[in-house]
Amino acid sequence: MVRLKSRYLLCEVCVSERSKLQLLGERAVFQAVRAAVVKAHGQYGAALFSIGSGVTYLNAYTGVVILRFRKAYYQLLWSALPFINCIETQGQKVPCFFNCIHVGGTIRTCQKFLVRYGRQQLCRMLPHCKTEAEKQEVRRAVRSCSQSLFKVTQQERDDEDEEGS
Amino acid sequence: MATRTRCGLPVSTSSGAAECVDTMEEKSASYERVVYKNPSEYHYMKIHLVFENANTSMRAEDFKYLIICGLKDLYGEVGAAIPFDVLTFDQTALSAILRVFSSGLVKLWSALTLIGSYANEPCAFRVTQVSPFLLALSGNSREMEV
Repeated sequence: MVRLKSRYLLCEVCVSERSKLQLLGERAVFQAVRAAVVKAHGQYGAALFSIGSGVTYLNAYTGVVILRFRKAYYQLLWSALPFINCIETQGQKVPCFFNCIHVGGTIRTCQKFLVRYGRQQLCRMLPHCKTEAEKQEVRRAVRSCSQSLFKVTQQERDDEDEEGS
Repeated sequence: MATRTRCGLPVSTSSGAAECVDTMEEKSASYERVVYKNPSEYHYMKIHLVFENANTSMRAEDFKYLIICGLKDLYGEVGAAIPFDVLTFDQTALSAILRVFSSGLVKLWSALTLIGSYANEPCAFRVTQVSPFLLALSGNSREMEV
């Protein structure tokens, strides 16, 4: 009847040095987002952020973050994300940039988008490879995920045939 | 919200013969009725600053800076960027007339309400009049002498 709706923002944290990415933790990202919201929107923004916001998922290897906001005011809080300059972890300031790639109503839609996005990114990475070994790795990865995609679509087609008949 | 209607003038019949016939058929002239939902994009506020210690005074720049600090505290950088103007400022009475875009009125008024002190001195803003028309601020029935 009355359901609390949230919006999940799928963001990518872009840092200049990949090694620094490993240092990030959920609390650090949360504090950085909160500081940016307070600076951009003042006490009003701080109050809105304190209700139902958080970091749902953080992958330190790929730099993918899922932030959760309430549906009623997610746009206000989203507008503060481009102002994030750096994240403080373990006494170090990591300069970074938040790039929002998808907004979903549930975590599952964000995950589905992430899988498709990962596939596209792999295809884009191929021309940028410097050594032959890297190229082979990327080609193998692309082949394996397209094979799994082929298997999934084959399975769906079989399921449809079974349901039809 | 005030509505204003404006009637257009009747269509002139001084053109060629063919048009004359058309306009003769619609004998009653065509009037145009334009209704504005919110005619003024600005709102004007007459406010007055009250200090606990009655001897303090400030310049117009300090006054505007105080209001901007209040907006920045409550609404952040976005709030401090709301464009408003101090149209008049009376240094002895510490009263002023502000002009703000209608979209920023609520934020400005709420920020004025929550300003508590200036240079460690307790103070408060009293809002006397708010109107979308500047002319309405010239008269106040509270201070009228009959």
